[in-house]
Amino acid sequence: MRTARRSESSAPRTARTATGWLKAHSELALVAFLAGLGALVMVDALTMAADFTQRGPVGPKTVPLLVGGLLVIIALVLAVDVLRGGKGESESGEDIDLSTQAEWRTVLLLAAAFCSNIVLIDLVGFPISGAILFWGSAYALGSRHWVRDPLISIVLAVVTYLMFVYVLGVPLPGGPLAGVS
Amino acid sequence: MRKVLATAVAVAAAITLSACNAAGGAAGGNDQMNGLRIMVPNTPGGGYDITARTSAKTMEQAKLARAVEVFNLPGAGGTVGLGRLVNEKGNGKLAMQMGLGVVGSVYTNKAPSTLADTTPIARLVEESDIIVVSKDSQYTDIQQVVDDWKADPGSVPVGGGSSPGGPDHLAPMLVADAIGLKAKSVNYVPFDGGGELLASILGNKVAFGVSGVGEYLDQIEAGELRVLAVTGPERVEGIDAPTLKEAGIDVEFTNWRGVVAPPGISDADRKALVDVYTDMHGSKEWKDALARNGWDDAFLAGDEFGTFMKEQSDEVEKILKDLGLA
Amino acid sequence: MDVFGNLLEGFGTAITPTHLLFAAIGVLLGTAIGVLPGIGPAMAVALLLPVTYNIEPTGAFIMFAGIYYGGMFGGSTTSILLNTPGESASVVTAIEGHPMAKAGRGAQALAAAAIGNFTGAMAGTMLLVVLAPLVANLAVDIGAPDFLAVMLLAFIAVTSVLGKSRVRGFASLAIGLTLGLVGLDSMTGQQRLTFGSLHLSDGIDVVVVAVGLFAVGEALWVAAHLRRAAAKPIPVGRPWLSRQDIKRSWKPWLRGPVIGFPFGAVPAGGAEIPTFLSYVTEKRLSKHREEFDHGAIEGVAGPESTASASAAGTLTSMLTLGLPTTATAAVMLAAFQQHGIQPGPLLFQRESDLVWTLIASLFIGTILLLVLNLPLAPMWAKLLRIPRAYLYAGILFFASIGAYAVSGSVLDLVVLLVIGVIGFMMRRFGLPILPAIIGVILGPNAEQQMRRAMQISDGDLAGLVNTTFSVVVYGIIVLILLWPVLRKLVGRRGARPDGHDPAELEKETVDA
Repeated sequence: MRTARRSESSAPRTARTATGWLKAHSELALVAFLAGLGALVMVDALTMAADFTQRGPVGPKTVPLLVGGLLVIIALVLAVDVLRGGKGESESGEDIDLSTQAEWRTVLLLAAAFCSNIVLIDLVGFPISGAILFWGSAYALGSRHWVRDPLISIVLAVVTYLMFVYVLGVPLPGGPLAGVS
Repeated sequence: MRKVLATAVAVAAAITLSACNAAGGAAGGNDQMNGLRIMVPNTPGGGYDITARTSAKTMEQAKLARAVEVFNLPGAGGTVGLGRLVNEKGNGKLAMQMGLGVVGSVYTNKAPSTLADTTPIARLVEESDIIVVSKDSQYTDIQQVVDDWKADPGSVPVGGGSSPGGPDHLAPMLVADAIGLKAKSVNYVPFDGGGELLASILGNKVAFGVSGVGEYLDQIEAGELRVLAVTGPERVEGIDAPTLKEAGIDVEFTNWRGVVAPPGISDADRKALVDVYTDMHGSKEWKDALARNGWDDAFLAGDEFGTFMKEQSDEVEKILKDLGLA
Repeated sequence: MDVFGNLLEGFGTAITPTHLLFAAIGVLLGTAIGVLPGIGPAMAVALLLPVTYNIEPTGAFIMFAGIYYGGMFGGSTTSILLNTPGESASVVTAIEGHPMAKAGRGAQALAAAAIGNFTGAMAGTMLLVVLAPLVANLAVDIGAPDFLAVMLLAFIAVTSVLGKSRVRGFASLAIGLTLGLVGLDSMTGQQRLTFGSLHLSDGIDVVVVAVGLFAVGEALWVAAHLRRAAAKPIPVGRPWLSRQDIKRSWKPWLRGPVIGFPFGAVPAGGAEIPTFLSYVTEKRLSKHREEFDHGAIEGVAGPESTASASAAGTLTSMLTLGLPTTATAAVMLAAFQQHGIQPGPLLFQRESDLVWTLIASLFIGTILLLVLNLPLAPMWAKLLRIPRAYLYAGILFFASIGAYAVSGSVLDLVVLLVIGVIGFMMRRFGLPILPAIIGVILGPNAEQQMRRAMQISDGDLAGLVNTTFSVVVYGIIVLILLWPVLRKLVGRRGARPDGHDPAELEKETVDA
């Protein structure tokens, strides 16, 4: 069970400086996200061409406007909650150590591995881009077996590729290696 | 776990192999079309998919081409696939299965590529739509529907199995137009595919339904559904219902499926594609397939198909413009 | 009743070596396909369809039914082990199943899922035999206002999964509802939040949302706070269900069919909504409510049983009415036509042998699946002993294939990443994930049914409450909403609800 951390933080009270205040109220970023999303949904709904076949009081705009409004209201309530000191508990778990600072380098490396697959899959084919994805992710998460990691990656990607394409008939891009255009 | 997966893979491989062998067995004929790829712009199991897979199989059985591959690229009513096809400029080994639904989707999705960008190959099959009610509906003939509809269009909800712009939507719009109703006054209720629509017709949730004739043959035969009219130019065998024309409504509407190729292909490629479909159409295997699937032959090749597609496109555009959808 | 005579005859035909072989191939393929990402049972049947042209129809359909049931069994595996649901029916299973696996109870989760599927499929198939004619009528009578009422009931149930902070739970729900808005409006064909992209006009699949929020979001979150020191492998745990596990699971197993079967049988039912309702029901009824979110076995047993029972319900409508209520059923209907068999109300009379053989083989297939999956559970669970880096790399790898294979589009991977980043942010700021998933499932459905009901009544609000069924459901909703008040009036004091007391929130201090 997630336990509320209700005890007074032993960290020094830096909340008086501006950056410290922002750090303490980092959830305002979430507030901004929700409000922005709400605005986006409402603007999108309102810019819909109006002369559409609409029967009765409920048209294609109604629900988006409701959802957009809900987002904005939630953002406001959350802002009040945050400013009054409320705080969401970051999710904990087996593999998660919340006592450390967030390691943005690891996150960015992992996201980069994911993105490399996005960029490369249509260029060099899945066997290569998938292998890079697996190896890159494992590397980002601290695996440093210079032989085992790439080997597993390549075998996994190639076997998966062959299985999808030849056994299941689901096309994945083969890239230049497979000789498929 | 490995063992089980291995077994499953082996079984699947055996099935695939046997399929490949059957394909490989075919030889000779027009070698030019070997390795033809047919794109299906929506999900497996749908009408386009079955047409494409049946065509591919027929070509192989009739030894017209070897290793014909069918693949699915679904999205946005077929316009994602259409975009891809148009991008494959000059590729003479690619064809896309399509039909009236794609014509409408181009407008409703405001797709950047249109069918005018493609090379028309052939129209293959067509199917009449039916106007259908449940057995305990108050309507027993189409004229009663027309009378009620004219009196208060809003109180006559029309159910169809396609989203706005699709065949089941266009048919009632044409009828409404013919009896002097404004397209916008039609109370069209779209349902996901044939299943939900069938339930709504059987449960009398909608005043009448519009659907392809093939989908509900059994329910019609069982007497659960009553057909008030067929939309095509001729009566349908086994269905006791007049055509719209016979009922005094000047509308002829059929849903059709055909094949187009990428733009900019060479004349030789184009001729080869038209030929392979023409030969397929002439084969006994295709006749069997038509009978098995209950499709009506509607073969129209090359430029004539292009002209037909242009006419259809203009007609669809007019309806959708009236509705503000195009 | 000659039903059982027919069924016996069906068994007679089904237990021939050829048909047993087809059943075995079907369940094996189905399990494998359920395990693999990106390929659902609908696609599998469609892909196999041409291959079966040369097989006699009975054999082909025994195989297809095996694939459908097998997919339900296999789908839970990746949900539990990798937090990566392969199809919409097993999305809910990941919520409790994956934490169980992480805590070394993967084998138990998988076994509870397998037995749950077995009970669901068995009970569902029996209901198919007994209730087929009745269901046929019911399925037709349920209309848009009734669906809407049930979905609103489901929305009420969301409140029990909002977590500690109501506002954060609602924020999550609203994010889900927003994701559900993306795509062409189903009633008018209007583009909503597609930003002109054709790829987005079909909307975002609930599986992509679930995989993005669960799997990709978790991988990113773990990366940010990787526990470097304690890299101990996930404990294997005991291989079988303990007496305690069974004691906690048998009721959820039996409740599953009650929820799943009717939903499967009606159009617009499917498996997503009943599995969620089963989850909420089990959470409410459980004596171990505090274990939910951290691996409660009831949360696996109930939804899995529900999913399989809903598959049986789907087959009921398909066989008795020719009414496809899910994509898989629609593909199987097409398959019937390919074999020259017209599905519909006359099927039972015209193809009596085929139908009863098919039903008999469903029973056989279900037993085969249990025999196949139960011993596999501890073996699959051992898979989790691989190093953490490989586990999360594998999760991203399979999540990517799954998203890409669906439509072969890179854009789906981008969408997956964006949703993954949202999942990361939600974890960082303590938003629960489940309400967002519910929003994606229920939002578009509820909107469509509401607008359909309004349109059929031509804009008259009475169209929302013009059926007995919907009125009854709204009555239940009012009762639930007024329950706290009623309870006070009665003067009984039960256990405190899990609502968050705002006063407590204020007292919480800020962690710098």
